[in-house]
Amino acid sequence: MSLLSVRNLLSVRDLSVGYESPGAVAVPAVKGVSFELAQGEFVGLVGESGSGKSTLGLAITRLAKAPARITGGSILFDGTDIAALSAENLRSQRRGGFAMVPQSGMNSLNPVRTVRDHFYDIFRAHGHVSVHDRLTRARELVGKVELPATVLDRYPGELSGGMRQRATIALALSLEPRLMVFDEPTTALDVLVQQAVMATIRQLQKAENFTAVLISHDLGIVLETTQRVMVMHDGAIVEDAPSRDILLRPQHEYTRMLLSHYGDPRADVVSVPGIESRAPEAGSAATASRPTRSAREGRAALETLVVDGVSKVYPRPRRGEQPVTAVNDVSFSLEPGQSMALVGASGSGKSTIAKLITGVERPTSGSIVFGDLRVDAIRRRDLKRLHREVQMVFQDPYTALNPLHSVEYILTRPVLNYSTLRGADARRRVLELLDTVGLTPVEQFAAKLPHQLSGGQRQRVVIARALASDPQVIIADEPVSMLDVSLRAGVLALLENLRQTFGVSMLYITHDLLSARLVTDQIMVLNRGSVVESGETSSVLRNPRDEYTIRLLDAVPNPGRADVA
Amino acid sequence: MNFVLKKVGLLLLTLWAAITLNFLLPRLMPGSPADAAIAKLAQSGPVSASVQAAIKAQLGVPTGNIWEQYVSYLGNLAHFDFGVSFTFFPQSVSSLISAALPWTIVLVGVVTIVSFVCGTLLGVLAAWKRGTWLDTLPTVGGAFVSGFPYFWTALLLLFFLGYVAGLFPRSGAYGATVTPNFSIEFFGDALYHSILPALTILITSLGGWVLGMRNNMINTLGEDYVTFAEANGLKPKTVALRYAARNALLPNLTAFGLALGAVVGGSLLVERVFNYPGLGYLLYNAVTNQDYPLMQALFLMITVSVLLANFIVDILYGALDPRTRR
Repeated sequence: MSLLSVRNLLSVRDLSVGYESPGAVAVPAVKGVSFELAQGEFVGLVGESGSGKSTLGLAITRLAKAPARITGGSILFDGTDIAALSAENLRSQRRGGFAMVPQSGMNSLNPVRTVRDHFYDIFRAHGHVSVHDRLTRARELVGKVELPATVLDRYPGELSGGMRQRATIALALSLEPRLMVFDEPTTALDVLVQQAVMATIRQLQKAENFTAVLISHDLGIVLETTQRVMVMHDGAIVEDAPSRDILLRPQHEYTRMLLSHYGDPRADVVSVPGIESRAPEAGSAATASRPTRSAREGRAALETLVVDGVSKVYPRPRRGEQPVTAVNDVSFSLEPGQSMALVGASGSGKSTIAKLITGVERPTSGSIVFGDLRVDAIRRRDLKRLHREVQMVFQDPYTALNPLHSVEYILTRPVLNYSTLRGADARRRVLELLDTVGLTPVEQFAAKLPHQLSGGQRQRVVIARALASDPQVIIADEPVSMLDVSLRAGVLALLENLRQTFGVSMLYITHDLLSARLVTDQIMVLNRGSVVESGETSSVLRNPRDEYTIRLLDAVPNPGRADVA
Repeated sequence: MNFVLKKVGLLLLTLWAAITLNFLLPRLMPGSPADAAIAKLAQSGPVSASVQAAIKAQLGVPTGNIWEQYVSYLGNLAHFDFGVSFTFFPQSVSSLISAALPWTIVLVGVVTIVSFVCGTLLGVLAAWKRGTWLDTLPTVGGAFVSGFPYFWTALLLLFFLGYVAGLFPRSGAYGATVTPNFSIEFFGDALYHSILPALTILITSLGGWVLGMRNNMINTLGEDYVTFAEANGLKPKTVALRYAARNALLPNLTAFGLALGAVVGGSLLVERVFNYPGLGYLLYNAVTNQDYPLMQALFLMITVSVLLANFIVDILYGALDPRTRR
């Protein structure tokens, strides 16, 4: 045992963590987990939400707070059991010991203190950098994460998400840690920024040679980055193997399931479980063979949405700044029954286009026509007609449903609002909607409140709500980005299925090129409000011509790339 | 700097609006104090023209058109000339106010600040030691006493501490035997007289600050930056004060601004119960005696003090929260 602890920086034995609440049985989140980390190793910890990976990450850095409690086992860091350390010992151990870059690092900085103050607070707490050297040291540290020294005088609110995350990493680095735990360090960031921050983390780990743990729900990122991967499921580590083996010879069924949801959007044939591959040539065919009107009992989309030369300019945010052009001269038409992807990084104007089409905002110039409605200059009384035909599915299913109302109530509102059905007929329609989105048994789901549903089930309710008015067009704004990988395919398959059976048109807004490839025929790539490339999804993604499209494609986490690394 | 200038500009604008409204409102009301007085007299018999003229002259019925009135009103304001009180005739309104103002400012102002500071500190402590007796005692106690109506608390204190136990004087701001001057004896006596009213205000306001701060603090303790500060091994005191409390304080400042603004007008019942010669007592007298000039001046004082308090809090906000400084 003593031999082991010399070689290994961290050894976790039989660790269990439970969430305790008074008067109830403790809920175990981590169940008897054991693993070792060798000095200088970069290990990934992968799992879906609720797998216990974050709880484990907090436990091994001794940050687990009530109601979470370590219920058993030991955490040997360099030979000492940190699970048993006193508070003050633990605090001083944090320098030269274990550091943590927390989840959604965007909020890890105190909004009322400058970045410099954050560094000085740490130096003061541990006394490892003298007052004389602290400015030089702080500059050096922000330099390491590729930030200019001027950020030291900034408040967190004045930095972009990527810069904040880099500052957070620099702060954790200032502790001169031997072990660094990154808990979903890039989840809230834009794809391109995410890629750059991950590159910095990889470089730092090589240069500083600290031991690192990368906690993530994204197997792609983890395989790209780490040497070894631990897969966590339901509180236990189900597979622990070198990254290459995980990729090429996954042993556990759960690992295989996670892997199966990755794919290269550039490949000739792409498929994930539940969604059949779209043959490269099928794009136009699918549009041509859309259901006839009778097939949908008169409910199929009939009208084309025409967006012509639309721009949206927001007034300058502050004096002395330039007005913001969110959308710049965008034109396209969404044919009945067609599905089109609108892709781009955050700030590219995709969500603004959704707001313009739904009449929430008005374009500065250009026209949007749907049937006989001029959406760009719509009048109040026509809005209801527009919303009957054009419905939204929102990004975050956790905030899109009123937590106080039952599913039945949530779905009954639009049915009463947009149809003449009343009483028992309306109820029958609600149950039918639930059946359509696959929430069965329908009676049971109708009675539930949103918090009793999982993320995927909530998103199905959101989709059912959008279908209640029998719309011709559905605008899905990142409908799966908040969901676990294994649930994404189901929701995407549902959207695709609805389009095929009911003939609704779909505008699919996303930054995720793989899902765009799976469920759309046409694609438009947006960069800073302008369309840089458009065409058939399969041909654009297989043979991208614009540099920005290529960068987006390169940023897609790809387990296969671990081979190259 | 730009931020402060902007706030000063806003303050001046709202001040002007308040002053102008104070000028317009009485003129929009039908009738005048003189009409009311004449009508009252008329019930007991005919009022001669000379008596009517005398009443109008005494009550200062304005002459000239509205613009001239407005200009002379502004001129009078600049000299703090609010006219003559009806109730305390022939004392001027400004002399009454300047006599009452120090008592209120010192008593209510100081107690409000002390209450805010103590309540906030207790709230921080309660949240930091959540679940221990340091949490339970201030939280439950605060919720309990803040439910008391303050005039009732005043009566209880007056009865038990003032009357039954006889520990404290029951009325007034200083004893009948001392003369107001800058002597230690006078200050000691004034302090002695202020204890019961101060205690009343403290007891009834403290709980609110404790609860508000505790709840804000518990929210900020769950923020990522607090976890991150702990992960970086900062000292517990730094985490509690500079990270959690500092941010938890911000929403409470707004409430503090309102409380500070209410100092001038809000102590009415306490001052009434203890016969304390402050602005609240003066306002009570003005309202019960329909003393229009005094009321108008006091309302203006209250408005201006609310505006000033909010201005101070705005500036404080700017100093404490970089996000508002834009």
